[in-house]
Amino acid sequence: MEVDRRVFIASLGGPAVVALMDHEAKAEALEHYMEEKLDEMVAQNQGGQPEKFPTVAEIEAQIETRPYRRGAGSVFTGQRGENVKKLKPMPDKPTLEDFFELRFAPANHVLQSATRAMKTGMSEEIILACLLHDCVLSLIKPDHGWWGAQLFEPYIPEKSAFAIRYHQTLRFYPDEEAGYEYPDQYYRIFGHDYTPPQYIQDTYKMLKNHKWYMEPRLVTVNDLYAFDPNAKVSIEPFKDIIGRLFKQPKEGLGYDNSPSAHMWRTLARPDNPL
Amino acid sequence: MMLTRVCLAALAAVAVSAAAAGQSSIPGLDIKVTKIERAASASLRDCPPGTNTVSAVSKPGEQFALVTVAFKVSSAYKPAPMKRPTVTDSTDKSYFTPSQFVDVASVPEFSCTFPFRVPEGTKLKALKIENASFDLAGMDK
Repeated sequence: MEVDRRVFIASLGGPAVVALMDHEAKAEALEHYMEEKLDEMVAQNQGGQPEKFPTVAEIEAQIETRPYRRGAGSVFTGQRGENVKKLKPMPDKPTLEDFFELRFAPANHVLQSATRAMKTGMSEEIILACLLHDCVLSLIKPDHGWWGAQLFEPYIPEKSAFAIRYHQTLRFYPDEEAGYEYPDQYYRIFGHDYTPPQYIQDTYKMLKNHKWYMEPRLVTVNDLYAFDPNAKVSIEPFKDIIGRLFKQPKEGLGYDNSPSAHMWRTLARPDNPL
Repeated sequence: MMLTRVCLAALAAVAVSAAAAGQSSIPGLDIKVTKIERAASASLRDCPPGTNTVSAVSKPGEQFALVTVAFKVSSAYKPAPMKRPTVTDSTDKSYFTPSQFVDVASVPEFSCTFPFRVPEGTKLKALKIENASFDLAGMDK
């Protein structure tokens, strides 16, 4: 999509306003502008008809058009085709909040998801699971449910870890009664003819009869409604829940010799060559 | 015992009258169905709506019935968690919307479009929001 620089700057209020914006705000504004333009183009091109989604084969054909793999965690790739930026160093004994600020930021999606869980009266275990459910995408993307659960498991309640692990599976399966629809973005990123692999199908069969089915299901329900580019959210409302449910190691995350300490260290130092 | 029966009968009469008139029986919340449309896709937004960018797409043989409802909140409204609305068709089969009420008292007046995934050609009979029922048969033609 081509962006007319002058029109874009005018839409933000002119050059003076743009000059006051930091790099992150400019990037975010550009993304929102492009999303809106894309919506307009889709509506114009198709006369209000539903968007035409790619096939699995078309998505696969894009693999060799990129200098990185889609599964690389976001700290390892440049945003929107740009080079990566130098990251601020982590404190000696980093906490979960330090990781939110320095490695997971802006974390808008998970904060929106947890905010919705809180406003609709869900349990603290679910609110925490929503807050953490996609944080591991900074490290790695494929199988993010399993990776995410493994990252947080030593520090959080069992129900929250269960919800994080299995929300990945349940995102492929609608549940109208629970309020979960299959999202259009999955047609876009996996292809409209995508079928989940056998291990996901088997996991779904297991979950359908599990007494904790609703834990990951509620994560998916909040997940769906947490892609609002205009939502204003922060970690502030969740500090009490983190204090109550997250077992912060006194040595700092990455230095407590837990089974996932190495994952935290990798997030802390993603530029280490080995 | 007698007094309880009288009270229950009176409550039932109020509920029936509210349902027939299509009025809200939620104190402080004025609810009015304004529109019913059909579409192949539906924007997934809570109520009151934000600007969430995720949508759902219908499958062959299905469509979304989009029921738009106007809300007015008065000072008598006491915020409390509300269930997701449902609709029934002419055979009384229920359909669920994924849209949830979130922070209803945050704005005094708003309009929400609730999507319901239904088989193509389904005629809607009623919308239920908490214990209030709204006749849709007259509007869904």
